[in-house]
Amino acid sequence: MIRTKDLTFKYREHSALFEFPDIALGAGENLLVLGKSGIGKTTLLHLLAGLLYPTGGSIVIDKVPTQLLPKKQLDKFRGQNIGLVFQNNHAVQSLSVIENLKARLFFAKKAISKNIITDLLEHLDIIDCKDKKLRELSEGQRQRLGIAMGIVHRPNIILADEPTSSLDDDNCNKVMQLLIEQASVSNANLIVITHDQRIKPLFTHKLEL
Amino acid sequence: MNIWKISLKNFRFKPLYSFLGILILSVSIALLIGIQQLDRSFRHQLENNLGDIDMVVGAKGSPLQLVLASVLHIDNPTGNISFEEAKRLIKNPMVGKGVPISYGDNYKGYRIVGTTQDFPELYKARLYEGRFVQKPMEVVLGSTVAEAIGLQIGDSFQSSHGLAEKGGHDHDEPLTVVGIYQPTHKVMDRLIITGLETVWDVHHHEDDHQTNNEHIEGDVHDEETDHTEHNETESHHEGEEAHHHEEEDQQEITSMLISFRNPRALLTVPRSINENTNMQAALPKFELERLYQFTGVGVKTITWIAYAILIISCITIFISLYRMVRDRAFDLALMRSYGANTFQLIRMVAYEGFMIAGSAFIVGVLLSQIGVYFIFEMITDQYKQQMPLQLRYQELLQTAGLVGLMVLLSIALAIYPILKMNISKILSHEK
Repeated sequence: MIRTKDLTFKYREHSALFEFPDIALGAGENLLVLGKSGIGKTTLLHLLAGLLYPTGGSIVIDKVPTQLLPKKQLDKFRGQNIGLVFQNNHAVQSLSVIENLKARLFFAKKAISKNIITDLLEHLDIIDCKDKKLRELSEGQRQRLGIAMGIVHRPNIILADEPTSSLDDDNCNKVMQLLIEQASVSNANLIVITHDQRIKPLFTHKLEL
Repeated sequence: MNIWKISLKNFRFKPLYSFLGILILSVSIALLIGIQQLDRSFRHQLENNLGDIDMVVGAKGSPLQLVLASVLHIDNPTGNISFEEAKRLIKNPMVGKGVPISYGDNYKGYRIVGTTQDFPELYKARLYEGRFVQKPMEVVLGSTVAEAIGLQIGDSFQSSHGLAEKGGHDHDEPLTVVGIYQPTHKVMDRLIITGLETVWDVHHHEDDHQTNNEHIEGDVHDEETDHTEHNETESHHEGEEAHHHEEEDQQEITSMLISFRNPRALLTVPRSINENTNMQAALPKFELERLYQFTGVGVKTITWIAYAILIISCITIFISLYRMVRDRAFDLALMRSYGANTFQLIRMVAYEGFMIAGSAFIVGVLLSQIGVYFIFEMITDQYKQQMPLQLRYQELLQTAGLVGLMVLLSIALAIYPILKMNISKILSHEK
């Protein structure tokens, strides 16, 4: 459940004001946000993730008005309820695959279950590299680790920032299938922001910025 | 998984950085601790060697030389004084005890000291085996001497003339070992103790004629370099003549070690001796204080160098932590996106600093102990002086506190970028 109203943001006092259309997603509904670069896609994603405070308007996630939370509580809320999947920086370099997932659960203040982690790694087909560091993984493996990092803690909302733009068609389809599948398994909202036209047919709800 | 574990992983991720940080910090810690320990052991050893000696009376000359020669047994004596005149000093009611000592010979570099039964008592020395000296030509060995030259009770040896190991001629009369002292960890351990009569007997035929100080100083000087054949024959010739004129009141000693009964004597007695007799009185504590003033400059310089290295190493730690914060900005921002708060990230960086500082401290203490051990070994070999190793908790804590403070300061500076971190900006520039 996510609802935004009259959401605006500006980086500095005199810089341009971003104005975003209202979003209203019920349980389990997915959204594709399309737009050219520089139009504020990532800004919107960061606002929804609680990485930025909006200049105006409101964001309500599962009945919690996140823009009103103090910084530390917002960190906690983000850790527990939001899963972020990035285009490139998928995990912490100094930690191995399994340590990354443990750290993700630790910061989300959720129980660290080895079974959940192994099941997920098996499902994403990266169980063989569980003890490898990020730099030892292939691009495809990294992307899958990125997805694992976004969903291991069973978030209510999965936010993906250009998850497919550096992938070929084959991998693009696999990644999107995994994301949509994992979102529906945990009944989470999946919001993907992209300029990648290939994934347009996969979504019923779309928003053009 | 917790913050400590993540810090540990970070610490191991760039082992070269961590290693360099530890290396430079541990060297400065080792220097600081080592210098403190050496300085204190050196002072302690010197002061310990004073035993109960408050004042030393000897021939006129340098008071420091008198103290070094007669109390620490590391320099040549200033000359001889008349035993009769020295004995008169003990009659002063403020003087508790007067112990005469007389030098002349050595055996394999260990000095043979002619003295009375009171001498070992100054150092509270106990016999390990055997008995005390009862007759002339009997000796009791200090523990270091016994260990080093391996003589047993009943063994005899021939002493060499002079105080230096080489350059003197051997005397004909053999000395017999009758006892060995327990270790005192004081200067006595490296002395060979005998009666005053032994020294007189050994030398009566050759240097009893040396009543004026200049001659003796000249003699000592010769011993330091080389006894020329000419000098020796002359010495023998004159000595044999003098032998027949020997009288009790002509007996000489090198110096008289004196302990006071009353501390007020420190103010009056030395002055009256220096003014009214042709002997000189020196206060060992005062002279050693003067000595520290000379050696202290070196110790201070090295200490300041160690502090400078400490500051440099803390700057190194600061730079490596700061670089870590900058280089891993993405990682730190990612962790924020996982729900980590600013304080957790600060702890992560701080723990990494503590790990470097902690390991450096352990390595530094070990390094200092190894270094100090080898320096002591060298000193023991060179000066035949035992120095007990000791490392005080207080000093250790003081150094630890100082290092901790410096590291805290570097951490505080290094975490600044975390406080100012704009996660959104870092993550959106991920490409």
